[in-house]
Amino acid sequence: MTENVIEVDGLRKSFGDFEAVKGVEFTIQKGEIFGFLGPNGAGKTTTINMLCTMMKPTAGTGRICCHDIQSEKSTVRECIGIIFQENTLDEKLTAEENLMLHCKFYRVPKSERNGRIEEVLRMVDLYEKRKDVVERYSGGMKRRLEIARGLLHYPKVLFLDEPTVGLDPQTRTHIWDYILELKNREGITIFLTTHYMDEAEYSDRIAIMDHGKIIALDTPDNLKKMIGGDVIEVITEDNGKAIEEISQRYGNDVKAKGDSLAFSVKNGSEFLTGFVKQMIVPIKNISVHRPTLNDVFLNLTGREIRDEITNGTKKPKFGHRRF
Amino acid sequence: MEAIFAVWQRDIIKFFRDRARLFGSFAMPLMFLLIFGVGMNGALSSMFSTSGMDQFTGFNYVSFIFPGIIAMTVFSTSIFSALSVVTDREEGYMKEILVSPVSRTYVAIGKIFGSATVAVIQGLLMLAFVPLIGVEVELMNIIKLIPAMLLVAFTLSSIGLLVASTLKTATGFQAVIQVLIFPMLFLSGAFFPLNGMPGWMNALVKVNPMTYAVDMFKHIMLDVGSMNEVLKQAMGLNLKLLGHSVSTLEEITFIACIGALFVMLATVFFNRSG
Repeated sequence: MTENVIEVDGLRKSFGDFEAVKGVEFTIQKGEIFGFLGPNGAGKTTTINMLCTMMKPTAGTGRICCHDIQSEKSTVRECIGIIFQENTLDEKLTAEENLMLHCKFYRVPKSERNGRIEEVLRMVDLYEKRKDVVERYSGGMKRRLEIARGLLHYPKVLFLDEPTVGLDPQTRTHIWDYILELKNREGITIFLTTHYMDEAEYSDRIAIMDHGKIIALDTPDNLKKMIGGDVIEVITEDNGKAIEEISQRYGNDVKAKGDSLAFSVKNGSEFLTGFVKQMIVPIKNISVHRPTLNDVFLNLTGREIRDEITNGTKKPKFGHRRF
Repeated sequence: MEAIFAVWQRDIIKFFRDRARLFGSFAMPLMFLLIFGVGMNGALSSMFSTSGMDQFTGFNYVSFIFPGIIAMTVFSTSIFSALSVVTDREEGYMKEILVSPVSRTYVAIGKIFGSATVAVIQGLLMLAFVPLIGVEVELMNIIKLIPAMLLVAFTLSSIGLLVASTLKTATGFQAVIQVLIFPMLFLSGAFFPLNGMPGWMNALVKVNPMTYAVDMFKHIMLDVGSMNEVLKQAMGLNLKLLGHSVSTLEEITFIACIGALFVMLATVFFNRSG
């Protein structure tokens, strides 16, 4: 039997005249990894802030583990663990002290505290370093400690906001191993935001948000099927003219993707040979690949997921409006 | 309720871990004590001795200023400790606290307790100067001093938290506190006896809660009973409000009321700011 852990209905949030979230609804089942993607300013952060009880919705309801996010704030907070994108550890304290404080804030029974601290520290391989001041930790170790801390009160839902941003690939893989193990072992529901495509692939379902609305919600495979067939990526001498030529001749919707153009066709390899011969605008480079989530994202929002990071315009997340 | 203790404990652990802060906190009061205290003491003694008034023979500026220095330490430590609220917000730790089920009122109270405790410890550490500057303080008076310091520290910590709750940056906080702290310090009788001031300054002195705190500290630490009237007057120990001599009990009540008011205001504003 499936059990809804998160239920959101008609959730809205306005800041003055600006409507940041224009009525979203979705349900998340127990044990699911729910990917929450969208360009900056899409309303993701606002939605998460409302779910985490950090912000009051203008309208609509949200329930986490059957508790209302407005009227039962305190109970909701006990049910959720949040791993923020930025560091929220006290770096002057040791790992153990940070965890002990968390136990006290979350009313973990006294007799269980030491056991749980050891358990989570061992899980992220930091038990040996528990007496070290966090200041001396590397970026990856800090992240692991934050994840450990987020699990200390045995949350039913874990909010992961860009859990591996700024970490090296090896550490990222390592952290994902922990997250997946947790999901399998404890059945924790995970609410994930990320700008890494490979991370989004871990999701059971993905919601893509843009302009305050959820514009797609499905499994990664189904989302990719929406593209239909294969994706052709081409770099030409004159992209402007090429767009015109392609849409006239093949009637395809062409999207600019950095220096190159991307569009989808039924059968990529077959299409390619004819295409190369027919094109009048000289082609510099061409490739064909199966659709990725990035193609889905580009198709739906007109932007690439990674644009967000490379353009360096990322805003602080989680409640920055209120601090 | 344990959350209050946790917030408090964090401040205390961090206070003892930060050696630089511990020793640095001695610098300012020590400078005041040495430069002001010792320097002025010589100047004033020579002035009084040449004027030939023997009632002043008991006058010792160092013992006059010492309770004031302790008050200053307690006062500035407690008000400045609220800086941690601003830096917690800047460094992100405040989010960890605010998304937890802990009531914000508890967090505010924990913070006030933390700042107040640190301030009292700092104030007590000042007593380490006692043997160096030739002032005598009885053990009984030190014991009396602790609750008095706690009361003052509590009031000032809440003023600090109130300011911290309304400001966004550490630099902004420091600027506002500086503007607040200096007039409150200098118009409190901590550095000079509050005698013969113009009316407007006298009015400022009388509305300054620090005035009553400093006076309370002086009455606890100095042997007021054995002083003659002229000396008492010279030391500024006849604090009057609208012609009425203010008693220590009234001072305690006044500071406690101000304290209660600011604890409430600080809690309300902290709740809103989060």
